[in-house]
Amino acid sequence: MNAIEIRNLSKSFRGMYAIDRLNMTVPVGAIYGFIGENGSGKSTTEKLICGHLVPDSGEIKLFGREFTDAGVRVRVGALIENAGCFPSSSVFDNLMMQAINLGLENPEAEIDRVLKIVRMQDSARKKFKSCSLGQKQRIGIAMALLGDPALLILDEPINGLDAEGMKMMREILVEITQKYSTTVLISSHILGELEKIATHYGIIRQGRMIQEISAQEMESRARVFVSVKTRDMKGAKKLLQEKFAVVKEEEETLRVYDVDEPETIVEYLLVNGHAVCEVRKNKIGLEEYYIELMSKKEAE
Amino acid sequence: MEEGRELTFESPSFFKRLKGMLGVDFYRLFHTPLFYIFLCIAAIIPAMILGMVGAEGAEPLYDTAWEAIAVGTPLYTFEEMGQYANMNMVFIFGGIMVSIFIGHDYKSGYVKQLFTTHAKKQDYMISKTLSCAFAMACMCITYLLGVIVSGLLVGASFEVNAYSLICAILGKMVMSLGWASLYTFLNIIFRKYFGISIASSFFFGTGILIVGLGAVLQNSPILNIFLYGSSVYACLSSDILTVLVCLAVSAAWSFVYNLLGTLVLYKSDVY
Repeated sequence: MNAIEIRNLSKSFRGMYAIDRLNMTVPVGAIYGFIGENGSGKSTTEKLICGHLVPDSGEIKLFGREFTDAGVRVRVGALIENAGCFPSSSVFDNLMMQAINLGLENPEAEIDRVLKIVRMQDSARKKFKSCSLGQKQRIGIAMALLGDPALLILDEPINGLDAEGMKMMREILVEITQKYSTTVLISSHILGELEKIATHYGIIRQGRMIQEISAQEMESRARVFVSVKTRDMKGAKKLLQEKFAVVKEEEETLRVYDVDEPETIVEYLLVNGHAVCEVRKNKIGLEEYYIELMSKKEAE
Repeated sequence: MEEGRELTFESPSFFKRLKGMLGVDFYRLFHTPLFYIFLCIAAIIPAMILGMVGAEGAEPLYDTAWEAIAVGTPLYTFEEMGQYANMNMVFIFGGIMVSIFIGHDYKSGYVKQLFTTHAKKQDYMISKTLSCAFAMACMCITYLLGVIVSGLLVGASFEVNAYSLICAILGKMVMSLGWASLYTFLNIIFRKYFGISIASSFFFGTGILIVGLGAVLQNSPILNIFLYGSSVYACLSSDILTVLVCLAVSAAWSFVYNLLGTLVLYKSDVY
């Protein structure tokens, strides 16, 4: 069974398609990284899943049921765009309202539990408007976590957070999925962070899913490269280009793609009189994979 | 919560869903200042009206303090301010309160939480209607208290047929349901435009359309089929039939507006 299954979903605004026959499959228990440039349709897709927008056509199923099914929707937690809290009410009051909304039997204990997860147990009495951006995002996650959600939909939850905040958010998300087996759909621009936690990826462009891939599959498909630093970068580049098919200069290093053995490169450089300062074997990351894929699509 | 739990999805019953949504609205009503501010406003209105009675040189608006609650006989059109300024003003201010109450749902983004977990849009309409009707009914009570206190302070007469007075007050309180449903519907229509929501609530709350219609039809009881008409019908010559008419009209409009509001929410993007 899949947590989310979307088939041929379309949504237009004033005749312009924001989502165009989108297909999407999110397996149960996955942390699904939803990637795309600004305006590609990530938030619209998430809003459609949450029932905030009415689709023009297509099908959305959550855990094998229609997304309009009250039984399944009550098990969806979402943080879309902002936490959706009343600014003048306290953190506790905001969470209490959501706990009541969900009909939780022991709301105080449940609020306590989610505040501990997001490391905010000491801020329950604080007014929401007095919280920092990072705290507001964590409160949003706490709201979404109330009532044992089977599916968590998070739209850019790490936007605007500092390094420490991002790390904390990452730890929270890993804890949620590992401890409570919650499926997480998370969209983010910060691909480096997403790469650390996602088990699956969906790449969307102009309202269409252009690729769905598991982290494992991406790992196996990712191109390897050897990065080299020499004293004479220009000369070394010219030399390497004579023997290797793809050589690029990036971030003050030379990248030689599709080479498994760094020794071959080092030997070749030394024989030709180039001193090697640094050599490292790498695989391209999510960010490069994404940029490469986008460039290919752009060219098509 | 257990680790590695099995996924089960139990559909909550209508009453459980409504209980949840109503719980949120009442919690918000009692835990934020908005409700209490409007209770105070409702109490102050009669003090201001009756204060004019006591002002030196001012033409008395009313013969008795209870006329600040309702007119003696149903008057759909009015000739002087005293015939208009009564408990019906609660419905004008109540409309503003409903607009702020619902507007904040959208402004804060909290409505996203509600619609994410409530797939059935009627839950929202019914809950807002009932909670806002309750708030307006409470405003009627504080308005009544305002009449009594300010009436005593200015030394106004309290002579009245108690049975008719109770029926008039009950009739107006019952009308809160219909008015709340109208305002909820208007706020759903103009949910993206807070200013227009307030303006439209105020416009309809004044009953200006019915007053205009009354000018054409004269004081015809046919106007009782409208919310403003029935609200006027609950006057100081009311009896139990008046209350029943108010109840029927209020319930019928409430049903219509809830149905329309639910349809709008189902057919259009909610946030």
